[in-house]
Amino acid sequence: MMPAGPLLAADSLHKAYGPTPALDGADFSIHGGEVVAVMGPSGSGKSTLLHCLAGIVTPDSGTITYAGRELSAMNDTERSALRRSDFGFVFQFGQLVPELTCVENVALPLRLNGAGRRDAERTALAWMERLEVDDLGGKRPGEVSGGQGQRVAVARSLVTNPKVLFADEPTGALDSLNGERVMQLLTDAARSAGAAVVLVTHEARVAAYSDREIVVRDGRSRDMERVV
Amino acid sequence: MSSRLAHPDKDITTDGQGTGPGAGQGTGPAGGRAGKGTTWLQDLLMGVRFAVAGGREGWIRTALTALGVGLGVALLLATTAIPAAIDARDQRDRDRSVGEVAERKGPDAVLVKEENTQFRDLGITGRLLQAEGRDAPVPPGLTRLPGPGEIMVSPELAALLDTPEGRELLAPRFPYERVGTISEAGLIGPKELAFYAGTDAFTGGEDFVTRVTSFGDTYPSEPWDDPVLLLLVVVMFVVLLTPVAIFVATAVRFGGERRDRRLAALRLVGADAAGTRRIAAGEAAAGALLGVLAGFAFFLAVRQLADDFTVVIETRFFPSDFAVDPALALLVTLAVPCAAVLVTLFAMRGVVVEPLGVVRASKTAKRRLWWRLVLPLAGLGLLYPMIGQGEDDGEFSEWQVTGGVVLLLVGVTALLPWLVAFTVARLGGGPVSWQLAVRRLQMSSSAAARPVNGIAVAVAGAIALQTFFVSVQGDYQKDTGMDPSRAQLQVMVPRQTEASRIPGITKTISEAKGVTRVTALGDTEALADNDPEGYFSVTVGDCAALALVAKLDTCSEGDLFLLRMDHEAEEYTPEGEVKPGQKVLLNPDGSAYEPPVESVRWTVPEDAETAEARRDPTGLLRDGIIATPSALPGLVSGSYRYSAYVTLDPAVPDAREYARNAVAQADPLLYPVRLEEYRVVGRFQSVTKGLLIGSVAVMLLIGASLFVSQMEQLRERRKLLAALVAFGTRRRTLCASVLWQTAVPIALGITLATATGLALGAVLLGMVDRSVRFDWTAVGIMAGTGAGVVMVVTALSLPSLWRMMRPEGLRTE
Repeated sequence: MMPAGPLLAADSLHKAYGPTPALDGADFSIHGGEVVAVMGPSGSGKSTLLHCLAGIVTPDSGTITYAGRELSAMNDTERSALRRSDFGFVFQFGQLVPELTCVENVALPLRLNGAGRRDAERTALAWMERLEVDDLGGKRPGEVSGGQGQRVAVARSLVTNPKVLFADEPTGALDSLNGERVMQLLTDAARSAGAAVVLVTHEARVAAYSDREIVVRDGRSRDMERVV
Repeated sequence: MSSRLAHPDKDITTDGQGTGPGAGQGTGPAGGRAGKGTTWLQDLLMGVRFAVAGGREGWIRTALTALGVGLGVALLLATTAIPAAIDARDQRDRDRSVGEVAERKGPDAVLVKEENTQFRDLGITGRLLQAEGRDAPVPPGLTRLPGPGEIMVSPELAALLDTPEGRELLAPRFPYERVGTISEAGLIGPKELAFYAGTDAFTGGEDFVTRVTSFGDTYPSEPWDDPVLLLLVVVMFVVLLTPVAIFVATAVRFGGERRDRRLAALRLVGADAAGTRRIAAGEAAAGALLGVLAGFAFFLAVRQLADDFTVVIETRFFPSDFAVDPALALLVTLAVPCAAVLVTLFAMRGVVVEPLGVVRASKTAKRRLWWRLVLPLAGLGLLYPMIGQGEDDGEFSEWQVTGGVVLLLVGVTALLPWLVAFTVARLGGGPVSWQLAVRRLQMSSSAAARPVNGIAVAVAGAIALQTFFVSVQGDYQKDTGMDPSRAQLQVMVPRQTEASRIPGITKTISEAKGVTRVTALGDTEALADNDPEGYFSVTVGDCAALALVAKLDTCSEGDLFLLRMDHEAEEYTPEGEVKPGQKVLLNPDGSAYEPPVESVRWTVPEDAETAEARRDPTGLLRDGIIATPSALPGLVSGSYRYSAYVTLDPAVPDAREYARNAVAQADPLLYPVRLEEYRVVGRFQSVTKGLLIGSVAVMLLIGASLFVSQMEQLRERRKLLAALVAFGTRRRTLCASVLWQTAVPIALGITLATATGLALGAVLLGMVDRSVRFDWTAVGIMAGTGAGVVMVVTALSLPSLWRMMRPEGLRTE
C-alpha cells in the first residue's frame, strides 16, 4: 500500500562539475517501500542524481523534498543527521573501513547515532545473520571475499532501519552469482524493513529486482513505465 | 576485484586495488620479456624509466622522493660543512691578527691599538692604526691604511651608523671621515661590526699599542683539546644527523602504495616477482639520485642565504664559508641511492605483488623484543667503558662515542614500532573516533611509528644534550667576580695620560645622559725597601673613590690608609700588609715613557690608619696603601694607571651608549669595558647555538616529512573518507580520529625518547665525570616541542582532510 505522496521527490535538478553538466533538469520520485532502479550509461549522471537525492551533493538548482521537508534548505549538519538517521548507503566497492572488523563496520552507523558499543554490535550481528555473514564478525574486510564484503556493506546500510536505502552499483564489483545473491538479500531485507531503495545500476538483470525503472541520459531522467 | 589468492609462502589476500592508475603502463618491455632471461640491470633501468617517464603518478612520486631526499641531503651537507665554515671564520680572524712585531720604529711598521667597543649587546671590533713608514703593512680587507682622521668600516657597521639610532648613540664615538669599506677578507662574518681608524696621536710607547710589521697569526690554531667540548660536538653531530638519515629513509618510501599498484600492473603483463622488486629498486634509486642532485642545489641555494639564516651567530657566515668536502660529496652521491635501494627492498619484504593486485601478508610477523634491545644495549656497552675518562683532560675514542650514540639512538627507532604495536594491541573501548584510530594503529602500527621515529630520535638526542649542557654549563659560564650593581662601566685611561686631565675626563663622562656617578682611581706599585720581592699596590683617589676599595668610617683630603686584607682571601700575601714607618720605593720599575717615570723613595707615615679592604666593582681586592692625592709625594704623570668607574641610571634607556660616547669624546684613547657578572666561554656558546640551529632545522625537516606522509595516507583514504561522510559521519569525528592516530604513537615516541635521552645524558655526564642532574623544565620543553611539531602538522593537514571528506570523493567517472 503506497502512501498518497512520494517519500522522496526531486524536481528539475541541475548540477554541473565545472563546465560539464551532470544533471540537466532531472526529476525523480520514490514512495516508501518502493524499489526504483536508476539506469543509464556511464557518465549519464545517475550517480550524481543519487548523491543529490541523498543530500551528499547540493544541486545547483531544483528542489528535493524528503518527507515533506526541503532538503536543499537544510545545512550540512542537518543533512548529515538525516543521513545518519533516515538513509542507508551501499557503494560499488563496499567502502568498508579496512581497519575495523566486519561487525564493527556494521555497528558503525549505530555508534555514530550514539549507541553503546555492545548494543550496536548485538544489533549489527542480527543484521549480519540476516545477510548470511554472521560468521565473519571478527574478520577484517581485507580477509573476506568481495561478495561477503558487499553483504556486510548491505547489513551496514540497513542496521539503522533507514527509510531510504541508496545503492550505487552495489554489484558492480561482483561476479554474476555473487551479484544475484547480494541483490536478492538486499531487496528482501529492504522490503521486509519497509525501506525504499534507490538502486543505481547499468545492468538490466540488477534493475529487474526493482519495482520501477528510471533512465538517466545526458542528465535528464525518464520513467521507463511511460516509455513502455 | 577483491579475492583470496593462493601464495606458496603466506596466507595472503588482495586489497582489491590491482587495477589502479598505471595499470596500462605495464605493456611494453615488461610484457615482452616474460619467460625470458633478463638482466637485473634492464629491470633497474626500467625502474628508472618509470621514475622519470611514468606519467603524472610516477612524476609525483619521484618528485616527492626527490624533495624529501633533497632536503635531507641539503641538511646533511650543511651540517657537515659547519666545521669548515667555522674554520674559515677562524682563519680570517687569524689572518688579521698581529703577526710580527718590532721593537723600534721602522718604515715597514704600523702602530696598532685594539679599540673594541660595544653598541648595546653588539660587539664592535676596532683598531686604531698609525703608519710609521711607506711600507707599513695593510690588514686584510683594506686597500690602504686609513690616514689620520679617516675610518674604514664594515658594511654592517656602515649601515648601523646610517640609522637614526646609530647616528645618535654610536656615531659620536667615531669622529672620523668615512673613506672606505672593509671587504670580506677582513671580516669574520658579513654581519660583523668592525672598523679601522687612522690616527697620528701615537708616540709608540703607549699602553696597548703594538708596533706591527706583518699581519697574520703564524702559530697553529688552538686545537679542540677540551674533551667535554669535543664530546659535545661529536654527540651533537650524531644527534642531528641520525634523524636526517631516518628522514631520508622515510622519504624514499613516499608513494609506496601507488608504486605497488603500478608494479601489480606490470606483473599482469608478465614481469616476475624478483623483476618487480628490481624495478622498484631502480625507481627508488632514480628518485634518490634526483634527490641528491636536488640536495646539492638546495644546499647551494640556501648557502647564499647564509648571512640571513645563521641568525644566532652574531657575525654570521659568508656563503663561501660553507664548502663541501669533495670526498663527502662523492660519498653522499653514492650512498644515498644505495640506501634508497636497500630501504625499498626492505620495505617490500612484507609485500607480494601479484598480477591481480598488491598482496600483503594477512598476519604480520610477531614483533620480537630481544633483537630490538640489542641495539641500545650495544650502544650502552660501547659507551660504558668510557665512563670517567673525561676526568683530568682525558681522551675519548671519537669512533666509540659516535658508534655508541648512534646505536643508542637507532635503538629508539627499533624499539618504537614494538612499543607502539605492544601498546595499541591492548587499547580498546572509547568513542567512534578513538575506535577508528586504535583499529587503524593495530592494523598498521609500523606505518604509524615510522614518521614518529625521526621526531623521537631528535627529541632523545636533544634531551641528552640538554641534560649534558645543564651539568657542564657552569664550567663554561665564568663568574667574573664583577659587581655591576655598583658600576656598569670601567673606563681604562692610558698610563701616559696627564694626571691633570683626569678631573676633566671624569667631568665629561659624568655629564653624559644617564650617568649618575664617575669615580676615578689611580694605581701604581710599590716595593718594600728591605724586600726585593715585597710588591704591593698603592691606590690614589678622592675619598668617594677610595670608598670603592675599602670600608672607610671617615675620610678627608690628606688621609692615607693601610689596607687590612682577610687572610683567607685568595689574593692575600703578607707583603701586601704595609707597616707604618716602613720605607718603600714607589713605582720601583719606572718606565720608558716620555718623560721617563722615576722611582721615588718614601716613608709610610707613622700615624697612618688602617682600613679593611673590599673588592672594587671589577672584583679586584687591593692590598698596600690607599691615599688621597695630597697624602702621597707628587709623582709625575705616567706613575699611575687610572680607571674611572661609571655608575648608570637604569631608568635611562641606552645610558651605557651615551656614556661610551662621552668616553670617546673625552679622549679617543680611553677604553670602556662593560662590567658583567657572568661571561660564557665563546666556543661553548657556539656549540650551544649550533645545537639550537640544528635542532630547529631537523625538527622542521621531520615536520615536513610527517606532513607528506600524513597527506599521502589521507589521499589513499580519500574515497573511504567520502563514503564515511556520506552515511552521516561527523567531520569532527574523523578529525578527532586522525588526531588520535597521531597522538598515540607520538605520546609513546616521546615517552621512549625522554627515557632514552635521559639515559644517554646520564651516560655522557658519567663520561666527563659530572654528577647527573636533570633539568625537567628543559626536558618538558624538548618533549613538548616534539609533540608540538606533530600537532602543528596534524593541524596543517586538517584543511586537506576537510576537502577530502567532500562528496566529490565518491565520484568515479
